[in-house]
Amino acid sequence: MAHPDTTYERQHPAFYAVIFTLVFMSVGPIALMFINSFKLDVDIISGTTGLLFLPTIQNYETALCDILPYELDHLDYCSLKFGGAFINSIIITLISTVLTLIIGCMAAYALVRFRFMGRDTVSGTTLMVRMVPPAVLLVPVFGLWNNEFCIGRETWVGEIIRDTFGGRGDVCLAGTHSGIILVYIAMNLPFVIWILQSFIVQVPRQLEEAARMDGAGSFQVFFKVVLPLIKPGLAAAAIFTFRIAWNEYLLASALSDRDTKTVPILIVNNMSEFNVEWGVIMATGMLLAIPPIIFTLFASRQIITGMTAGAVKG
Amino acid sequence: MPKIRLDGLTKRYGNFEVLHGIDLEMDDAEFTVLVGPSGCGKSTTLRMIAGLETVSDGEIYINDKPISHLEPKDRDLAMVFQDYALYPHMDVAKNMSFALRLQKRPRAEIDKKVHEVAEMLGLTEYLHRKPAELSGGQRQRVAMGRALTRDSSTFLFDEPLSNLDAKLRTQMRAELAMMRQRVHKNMIYVTHDQIEAMTLADRIVVMHDGHIQQEGKPETLFKTPVNKFVAGFLGTPPMNFLDAVIESKGDDTYLTGHNFSLRCDDATLQRLTDYPLQEICLGIRPSDLEYDAAAHADESLSLQVDIAEYIGAQSVLISHSGEQKVMVELKSDTPITLGEELNFRVSLEDIHLFNPSDDRAIP
Repeated sequence: MAHPDTTYERQHPAFYAVIFTLVFMSVGPIALMFINSFKLDVDIISGTTGLLFLPTIQNYETALCDILPYELDHLDYCSLKFGGAFINSIIITLISTVLTLIIGCMAAYALVRFRFMGRDTVSGTTLMVRMVPPAVLLVPVFGLWNNEFCIGRETWVGEIIRDTFGGRGDVCLAGTHSGIILVYIAMNLPFVIWILQSFIVQVPRQLEEAARMDGAGSFQVFFKVVLPLIKPGLAAAAIFTFRIAWNEYLLASALSDRDTKTVPILIVNNMSEFNVEWGVIMATGMLLAIPPIIFTLFASRQIITGMTAGAVKG
Repeated sequence: MPKIRLDGLTKRYGNFEVLHGIDLEMDDAEFTVLVGPSGCGKSTTLRMIAGLETVSDGEIYINDKPISHLEPKDRDLAMVFQDYALYPHMDVAKNMSFALRLQKRPRAEIDKKVHEVAEMLGLTEYLHRKPAELSGGQRQRVAMGRALTRDSSTFLFDEPLSNLDAKLRTQMRAELAMMRQRVHKNMIYVTHDQIEAMTLADRIVVMHDGHIQQEGKPETLFKTPVNKFVAGFLGTPPMNFLDAVIESKGDDTYLTGHNFSLRCDDATLQRLTDYPLQEICLGIRPSDLEYDAAAHADESLSLQVDIAEYIGAQSVLISHSGEQKVMVELKSDTPITLGEELNFRVSLEDIHLFNPSDDRAIP
């Protein structure tokens, strides 16, 4: 045991085979996407699958045409508004993640710590809501957002909104950021509550009592003592929510309009009945993957085990 | 410093009553110890005073002001918990200053107070450590420090030493006693350990089954317990109880039990004048039995010694007289042979007498 960090036990060959398969399965598609994003459509479709090709950043230029400061030679008209969609994605994802976490941690705390009628039922049914497939929600939500949750254009508020943002007809939830954010919150909340409950249960009750004796009110107990201790849970929930909201396609495609569409919708728009721009799709896909990676790296640093060590006698 | 008064304090969980109308008055700057076996309601009483449990009935008064409807933060009490309850995400200094920071006191004042208390508890060099990096004794000290930094009128201790090992417990007990001399505040201390109770308390409150059995100064409770429970609970090794009957033989009255017959003196006869029963229960502290081979049979017990537990200067003999187990405490250098029947002299004025029908002491 001279160098316990550098010597490893020799494993069975099958072990390596399994590892290799798993790595290939997860890295393969990404590598393929990465390579193809630097190829011209001609190269992709012609089947020159090898690594021998002339790399080009033309696909990325096309994808980012609306935010590049210079004119592109190969493009007459910038039809792809990646910059706008990216900002939409960021707005929708971040706001829905933050709101989901805020509502989720409070709801989870209440479910764990407070005694009220129907507590167990609420706790049990939160997860069941999660089992409803988004596709089932699609039609009713689309109807509600377009027809029910509207502010008439004749009303005072509606007039102000119309004067500020323009447009005709009533002001409805459909096609707004809020409409999509609301659906994402509803979709992610049950799971976040469920995850956070298990973290809150682990916070020793005496800590909260000690804080109350130290003069903290209910909210101070929650924000100054409980919340810092469930940070790992919040981080895990944040990663989960962020990724779902970032990648979601179905609901966003129905509920967004030209100005609020997100990046996944944009990618699919590159496919038409005449042409599939594989290179651009791959490039957009690569760009789409970056924010979740950064966010996950950042959030996973908060996942530290043993947060409550030393609080109470084991 | 306030006076705390409990008036008919009652606690019910559903239909199950665990505290049956506790009446208690705690004076200004008094160290009160609630002691009793587990489940006697002592912790519940403390937690009700703290505001962590609701009051089912009765009232708690601080300086004649009812407080049972107030939140813990509005009661001006500091509490030390049994399992420390330190905030694991804060270092020692932050833990100790948490209450002051909530009150939004000026930084300089907080720092000064924290350093003062840390100095007193010997925690200065650990101020920037997290609780996880401290030993049990240090954690307990931080927990106490957290209470001390606040200028509360009253300190509540919920079995603060029960998680420490024996040696550390003795040491912390001494430190508590020293702290007690410096800090003149009301302290209410809950423990199941009667030694802690005896050494620390100005006033002991012995509780059992949700009732107060007896309260008073440690000496009073030790010397004149009101019933068998208090007598048996205070003192180590515990008091021996022997069943006997009152018999008259000729001019003399004897307290006769299995294998012994003690002749009553005048003082004892005086005590027994109004006693209605024949049966009686004798309570003899192990330290009141004295080895004397030459003692007369009517002033001694004859005991067969089974085991001698050597604890240093003193030894505890576990012996029996018939079915009855009897403990004797004596100097270790007393020449004792195990397995033999030996005479132990007992003086009648040291004997406590109890009525076996209701376990009350006969004064």
